[in-house]
Amino acid sequence: MNRVLRGTVAATLLLAGALSTAACGGDDEAATPEAADSGATLTLWTRAATESVSKAYAAAYNATHKNQVQVTAYPNEEYPAKLASAAGAKALPDLFASDVVFAPQYASQGLWLDITDKFNALPVKDEVAPAHVRNGTWNKKNYAVPHTIDMSVMLYNKDLFTKAGLDPEKPPTSLTEFAAAARAVDKLGGDINGTYFGGNCGGCNVFTLWPSVWAAGGDVMNAEGTASTIDSKEMAEVFALYRKLYEEGVAAPASKDEAGPTWLGALQSGKIGIAPAPSAWLGIIEEKAAFKVGIAPISGINGGESTFVGGDSIGIGATSKHAAQAWDFLAWTLGDEAQVEVVAKGKGVPTRTDLASNKYSSADPRIVTINNLMGKGRTPYAKNFNATYNDPQSPWNTAFRGALFGDAQKSLGDGASALTASLKK
Amino acid sequence: MTRKISAAALAILFLFPLLWSAWASVRTPTGFGVENYRRLFTSDNGIRAEHVINSLTVCALTVGGTLLVATLGGYAFGRFQFPGKNVLFLLTLAILMVPYATILIALYVLLEWIGLQDSLLGLSMVLIMFQLPFSIFMMRNAFEAIPKELEESALIDGCTSFGALTRIMLHAVRPGLITVGLFAFLTSWSEFFAPLILLNSTGKFTVMLAVVNMRTASFGAIDYAALEAGVTFMAVPCLLLFLVLQRSYVRGFMSGALRG
Amino acid sequence: MTLLAPARPTVLPSAPPRRKRNKQWIGALYAAPTAFVVGMFFVVPLALVVWMSLHHWPLLGAPTLNVPDNYAGLGDDELLRTAVWFTLKYTVVVTVLLFALSFGLALMVQHRGRGVGLLRTAFFLPAAVGFASASLLFLGLLSDEIGPVNDLLAGDGYLSLTSGSPNTALGSAVVLVLWRFAGFNMLILLTGLQAIPLDVYEAARLDGATRWQIFRRITVPLMRPTIALVLTLMITGSLLAFDQFWILTRGGPDNSTTSLVMVIYREAFIELDLGSAAAISVVLLGVLIVFNAIQLGVLRRRSQ
Repeated sequence: MNRVLRGTVAATLLLAGALSTAACGGDDEAATPEAADSGATLTLWTRAATESVSKAYAAAYNATHKNQVQVTAYPNEEYPAKLASAAGAKALPDLFASDVVFAPQYASQGLWLDITDKFNALPVKDEVAPAHVRNGTWNKKNYAVPHTIDMSVMLYNKDLFTKAGLDPEKPPTSLTEFAAAARAVDKLGGDINGTYFGGNCGGCNVFTLWPSVWAAGGDVMNAEGTASTIDSKEMAEVFALYRKLYEEGVAAPASKDEAGPTWLGALQSGKIGIAPAPSAWLGIIEEKAAFKVGIAPISGINGGESTFVGGDSIGIGATSKHAAQAWDFLAWTLGDEAQVEVVAKGKGVPTRTDLASNKYSSADPRIVTINNLMGKGRTPYAKNFNATYNDPQSPWNTAFRGALFGDAQKSLGDGASALTASLKK
Repeated sequence: MTRKISAAALAILFLFPLLWSAWASVRTPTGFGVENYRRLFTSDNGIRAEHVINSLTVCALTVGGTLLVATLGGYAFGRFQFPGKNVLFLLTLAILMVPYATILIALYVLLEWIGLQDSLLGLSMVLIMFQLPFSIFMMRNAFEAIPKELEESALIDGCTSFGALTRIMLHAVRPGLITVGLFAFLTSWSEFFAPLILLNSTGKFTVMLAVVNMRTASFGAIDYAALEAGVTFMAVPCLLLFLVLQRSYVRGFMSGALRG
Repeated sequence: MTLLAPARPTVLPSAPPRRKRNKQWIGALYAAPTAFVVGMFFVVPLALVVWMSLHHWPLLGAPTLNVPDNYAGLGDDELLRTAVWFTLKYTVVVTVLLFALSFGLALMVQHRGRGVGLLRTAFFLPAAVGFASASLLFLGLLSDEIGPVNDLLAGDGYLSLTSGSPNTALGSAVVLVLWRFAGFNMLILLTGLQAIPLDVYEAARLDGATRWQIFRRITVPLMRPTIALVLTLMITGSLLAFDQFWILTRGGPDNSTTSLVMVIYREAFIELDLGSAAAISVVLLGVLIVFNAIQLGVLRRRSQ
């Protein structure tokens, strides 16, 4: 055998051997008791969508601490690949944030360090967004804390409401009323449409349709996130309602193809009456809009209120050598100063339920409404959330598109089994 | 006459996307302007000077490394017999048959192991590897096409093989060298996935990563205009190089290098 | 010319054995950098991938041997089945169209003439744009927002990429590939075309052959190695297609444009199942090796 080949085979076996033995990972947090603010440089990874908030946190922290946090942001779609590669090479950063719905998966894979004791020692632990905290939990241990909060609400165009003869200060309190309002606005004709949704975006309508199911007392999964119940009465009714709106032309025809990128643009155009959307868009839409925007909680068919508490979670990378310092940063982000001066001041939603009304939010009652929703909303918990619901190749995509545009009953039935199979992986 | 017209029409069709991209990049809601480029360079996740420097560094390393390895290797394959020659050649070609996604995690692990993680040098080594099938094939054929007499006369005059190589052969395979260098530059300049996975610090990011960041949004609008500005910005150096080196690389192809 | 046989014997029969051995060593020395790069950065990671395919390989934590579960599980994977079908279909479509187009372009620019150089440059210019860049370019070109294509083609319907029909999604990816690679393959075919001596054509014409007969009986057979090379590159490239689907169509609508490599990507980075991803990669690699070996064998036999 050629010498070159022999050499490479030997190197291969060596490498494989080294990797196998070195792959005994595990957390090693309390290696040396160092002072928490010892002047370490901490690397923080986040996704492009969350970049500005992470950087705001880091800037404020760096100004008042010896530790310095460096933020690196990656393109949203490729961020999971980046994390997986780094984990595979056992080279995770000191801190990394992720979409909260991925938190159970990352927690179960041990990508974050166990912070149960540290978290329970916090005086504010009960006021930290409970839905997020639950998502960062695996096998009764905590691995992540909330980083940003983004909730789904109904946004409506007050001017169009007035034109359609609806009271702009009295938004709908049930999904049925929402449909009626959408129909009224749609009657204005032209290129005005009653409502809009992401008909080709799994992540979007998980965010916007599920709260209606929760508000009606139903659910889309079992508590452990291992079985799907999308064929339940509540979910079927919600789909039927939106389906009808689409078939009547009340929902903009472009909704069918909406995969996410042009969703905001559609709402900014001022031609949509009322639609469920991320609460963070209130500010963005108002900035450029010539119309006034109103907020209402998402409700169930006959009433009730709920929301999808989305956003990002953050934890300490499992291979970090600066666990104590990283925790110092995390604990600081949950404190009053960070939540009020960084998040609330920047028009974000505080991750602390007791800070829903703060000196910045009280100026705008709509913000207070949004902030208070956090206590009423849920974050769905599932280890295999991404592959099951978010990813364009997910079974959820097939299921909801069938429910909205195809054979509804069959899609929901088949979907429930396909989803359950995926959740169990 | 009709053939000339259809040829011209085809040419326009081929040039259209690039022309459109340039046009779209200077279109603003109020007419024309450089506002998209300004956004491209100043927005939060836009292009910075360090990105350009990083890209140029990676390109220089990749082009230099590829030329070095491919020239020496091409000379070896084209002119010598040695044990393992065929196996090595086939292995090199096999690089074409492996998809990125497969090998990237393993490469990430490997770079970690030899201490080249999160480094432009490590990234360049990987890019050189991806260039080898095309480059070595090209250079091997280029060397094979040189008449034996040229080399023999140099050897008779007392040169070593290395001397013959540098003094005579290199000049004869110049078109091949230029072609190999050009393609090495093109791919390393516009690489996306490899830098994404193999680089960690923003300080080391390349221009392509910054441009793709323009595409991403959280359920929000893609900044298409800035995106096209980014695409145009990335394309311009390549187009210029292409046009300037045209004669050489066409000759490189023509010299029988890729006849099969 | 085959890929494996050396062009000329490099050693004179009467050379002393020591000189031959020296020459071999020198050759090996020149090949050493290549061997190093290929060995270190290709063979080693590839071996690791094969190794991984035999294990349940968690991101952190120790891998456990689970042969042959990763491979056996491939049969049940429905998304994989869809992707295989689609990738094969896509390969056939692209290879046929791209080959026809490249060959047509090559025929168009083979003779000297006014403006031929310009034509050649125009056709080849898309190769200057990186593939990821080209995909982003088309994303904008075909978008509703700023793209002109929709205004020209769609009328009142919506020519959307991730929705709309599977055929528009596939079509957009195919157009992208044709645009980007026709020029490159045209150049390769051109070299083959121009290597045919003119007097062969002359003789045929004197014998009264028509253009089509000349093409079929002379041009094509004499270009066989070039054609084989081009087809190999196209087929291999199509089987490994990823960027265009990832950026342009995201595998949609409804998984109709999900390619094999996308499934590998998804398996590795979303399902976080590195073992399965490695298994699919190994199988894909095996298929490609077999295919290329057959093609090489056919080529060698033909030219002998």
